[in-house]
Amino acid sequence: MQEFSVVGTNVTRTHVRDKAVGVAQYTDDIKLPGMLHGRTLRSPYPHARILSIDTSKAKALKGVKCVITSEDIPKVKFGNWRLFPETQDEYVLAVDKVRFIGDEVAAVAAIDRDIAQEALSLIKVEYEQLPASFNIETSIAEGAPIIHDPYPNNISIHRRVKHGDLEKALAESYYVREDVFTVHSIYPAYMEPCSAVANVDYDGRITLWTSTQTPYIVQCLLASTLGMRENDVRVIKPHLGGGFGAKMELRKWDFCAAFMAKKTGKPVKFTLDRVEDFEVGRRRHPMKLYSKIGFTKNGMLTAKDLQIYLDGGAYNAMGPTATFLCGNYGLMLYRYPAYRFHGQHVYTNKPPASAIRGFGSPQSTFCTESQMNIAAEEMGIDPIDLRLKNAVREGDVIPELSKIGSCGFAECLEKVAKMSNFREKRKHPVKGRGVGIGCYSFISGGVFNWFDTQYPFTATEVRVFADGTAHVLSMASDIGQGSDTVIPQILAEELGLRMEDIRVTTADTAMTPQADLGSWGSRVTLMAGNATIDAARKIKEILFGAVMAHFNFNVIHDLECKGGRIYSKGRPDKVLTFGEAVAVAQKFNRGEPIVVRGSYTPRGKGLVTPAFSFGAQVAEVEVDKKTGIVDLKKMYTAHDCGTLIHPQSVEGQLDGSIQMSVGYALSEQFVEKDGKTLNTTFLDYKMPGALDMCESEHTCVITYEKEGPMGAKEAGEGLTSPTAPAIADAVYDATGYRCKDLPITPEKVLKNKKKF
Amino acid sequence: MSLAKFEYYTPNSVENACKLLTEQGDGAYIMAGGTDLLVKIHKGAMKAKAIIDLQKVKGIDGISYEKGKGLTIGAMARLTDVGNHPDIKTKYPAVSKAALATANTQIRNMGTVAGNLCNAAPSADNAPVLMVMGAVVTLKSIKGERLVPLVEFFQGPGMTVIKKGEILTSIFVPEPPNGSGVSYQYLSARGKVDIAAVCVGAMVIMDGGICKDAKIVLGAVAPVPMRAKDAEKVVMGKRLSTELLEKLGLEASRESRPITDMRASAEYRRILVAVLSARAIEEAAKNASKK
Repeated sequence: MQEFSVVGTNVTRTHVRDKAVGVAQYTDDIKLPGMLHGRTLRSPYPHARILSIDTSKAKALKGVKCVITSEDIPKVKFGNWRLFPETQDEYVLAVDKVRFIGDEVAAVAAIDRDIAQEALSLIKVEYEQLPASFNIETSIAEGAPIIHDPYPNNISIHRRVKHGDLEKALAESYYVREDVFTVHSIYPAYMEPCSAVANVDYDGRITLWTSTQTPYIVQCLLASTLGMRENDVRVIKPHLGGGFGAKMELRKWDFCAAFMAKKTGKPVKFTLDRVEDFEVGRRRHPMKLYSKIGFTKNGMLTAKDLQIYLDGGAYNAMGPTATFLCGNYGLMLYRYPAYRFHGQHVYTNKPPASAIRGFGSPQSTFCTESQMNIAAEEMGIDPIDLRLKNAVREGDVIPELSKIGSCGFAECLEKVAKMSNFREKRKHPVKGRGVGIGCYSFISGGVFNWFDTQYPFTATEVRVFADGTAHVLSMASDIGQGSDTVIPQILAEELGLRMEDIRVTTADTAMTPQADLGSWGSRVTLMAGNATIDAARKIKEILFGAVMAHFNFNVIHDLECKGGRIYSKGRPDKVLTFGEAVAVAQKFNRGEPIVVRGSYTPRGKGLVTPAFSFGAQVAEVEVDKKTGIVDLKKMYTAHDCGTLIHPQSVEGQLDGSIQMSVGYALSEQFVEKDGKTLNTTFLDYKMPGALDMCESEHTCVITYEKEGPMGAKEAGEGLTSPTAPAIADAVYDATGYRCKDLPITPEKVLKNKKKF
Repeated sequence: MSLAKFEYYTPNSVENACKLLTEQGDGAYIMAGGTDLLVKIHKGAMKAKAIIDLQKVKGIDGISYEKGKGLTIGAMARLTDVGNHPDIKTKYPAVSKAALATANTQIRNMGTVAGNLCNAAPSADNAPVLMVMGAVVTLKSIKGERLVPLVEFFQGPGMTVIKKGEILTSIFVPEPPNGSGVSYQYLSARGKVDIAAVCVGAMVIMDGGICKDAKIVLGAVAPVPMRAKDAEKVVMGKRLSTELLEKLGLEASRESRPITDMRASAEYRRILVAVLSARAIEEAAKNASKK
């Protein structure tokens, strides 16, 4: 392992002071002269044909500057899976049909928000209501309403994975069990509701500020929906108040702001209010999971047959990736000699589900881990021992998909068992109390390039200056997770500089290197980190050459870049400061500035990810036998995220993911009636608050990931997966109720409890 | 959506406030903390022509306790101040608990107990305890004033006996009788900082282990906070036991009239009513014996 001086320390996070005192600018803070305010008319019906739209009264309202429907804009379908155009199923404004309550029908821009809102009420739309479907079962049933014509059975995506002889393995198994799990949707509840501001100059070029995790994707898709060239569209991500995966697509307000800015010549802003964001913001996929697993007599897994239906809502959104990924997660933690997966993405007349922190893993892992717990009990094997027997190890090959690099899974299991005193607590049960376990493995970015770009996966530009500073430019989006801190940390480490020597500019498509697909899938630290190291090494090559020549060193000298100085290891007295070295290097090249570009694309890493993270978690609960209320006492976590670049941020991610997953496990859910979301405020959407957070004890199992930057890999997203199965297992331990349909509500506990 | 237009008044006396309220007539609303009123207007659920803000009215934000008589809570006394008042904490701990169980810190710093009652949500945290303790509210208008026992105050969701032109100016809670104990119990889905799915206030008067008198009020299980009279009868004149409390719970559950909504099903609310009313009586008896 390497010794670090900046990496691994809790440097003050970039922009944290601005955020703390409230001067950091978020998209909705942007106010431009003459700016108009946009509002969207949304469908009141889950499924209906549009017969006519009359906007004349809205257009006549004083203060209204622009009203658009699908008739006014290019009828271009879009979607993130550009590599497969048949998956692109959304129009910006409804053409002929609406498919969920909240589907965009028309947009208005007016001199203020109230007038825009009033104008919406003046738009007359005639609908012919169509039969609608609100769940997987009704959508795939014979004679179900067809939501998209090209998909008469409402299944838009199939994904299959297979290795080994499944039938034979199951037939020869000593123990086989089959379970069905259902998991629900949640709202990501980012602090900043979605917002976009567009401005157009007189040359016709667009600048869009938007609350996005993926400026480059928005740039490309906005250009294609507008029929413009990519370079004529500039997308800037201001400070972002959380994304959780739900802000990684071109959204319709992005387009409407840009289109109406173009049409009116004035800047246009759209900001969703919280109720609207609850109704149409991206949400997690509900799923139905059928899983069959087999074991040998001594508890070795033989096979897994996994079928998952994803309730995708009305459009694909990031559903194809979720379909792809939940099948990968199904085989990631343990060794499965035979595996078969069939994932099907189903349309329903509900708001589209998409990528939400974990991206298929919380659902798939709930199934995997619950089933391991059930099997352990039935086979009379300690659940931790059963996992240790089957745990993947470093060097394991996932047939046709990937190879496991660094792996601290087994150590995580041992550690969490010890921390929580799991085995003892299981041996000596206390009435009303229980402990349960769940584990996870996660990706450090995906390998599959569904966006189909000609660029490398990530690129970083680094410029160095004679004043001893450096400037790093990257398309990676800091969405609160801290990439604007981690990238400079890695650069400072590699160049021997301090944090205060690094300026960082990110997520501006006119300034920062094209390619990086943004922040999702836990790709940023590993991918942008590697690109940063690549750039830093190129800088060093230039500076070292200059220093060698400056001191007329023999070519055998090895140079080092440390503490702001560059020197020969053998002659540390011959030294230039970093800035002096830059000046010398520039003079060698007729004053040209020193600018390099580093990049990273996974090579030979299969189809899943360049690196896997791991972890194990134990939940301890107390259940009120009269009310069924689950009181989460404590969570114990041991996880392996490789090198910790910024330990405090990792800790924040860990506790944040526990809090998010406690909501997923116990209290959060959409209350829906005929496709309408009824609980659209935080009063009625039961997200746990700070006071509801349980005690949390955690430890990091330190590994060094060779593919990661300075040994780092994913942290914080995978952790959303083990919590629900661990809590469900603890509830079972306390009550005898084995939850197979999340969330674990007090009513379900009361109805199904067997102990007491 | 931003606020619709309305006139805004800040009278400095109760008399002026009453005068304004009568002058403005329909569409004029009294505002204390504004934590319910402004939200309703903001949502478009309510249209106000005029708002008469009581914040500048002198002499109605006080909290005073007179030994042997009782506690007076002024209309503008904030929930936080009521919850943390030393006399209330020692003499009326359940009143304090209910005030601090209301909403969250920010809302408690603005909102008032009086406002919580006038808003008349079936789930109002402050109603059950004040009702079982026999609280009386003072309603003033240009014509004079009248006193209304809180048990007769609520008429339906959002509806009270307050007539046009009247302002609730104070809440009086009598000195707790000898041998009495009070309890407030509430539960909701999220645990902390949430609107109650069910809440229960109970007061008992104990005499040598015998429950001489019992009052139970259930919140969020009927259109108004309701007395559970049949349940009260179960324990009256009896020695409390686990079996008796269970029976009381079932009786309270039977006479409650909950609905199914987003927060809980009617069936589950009935279970909570049984559990919470038994717990409330049990805790009230325990508090009585502490004195």
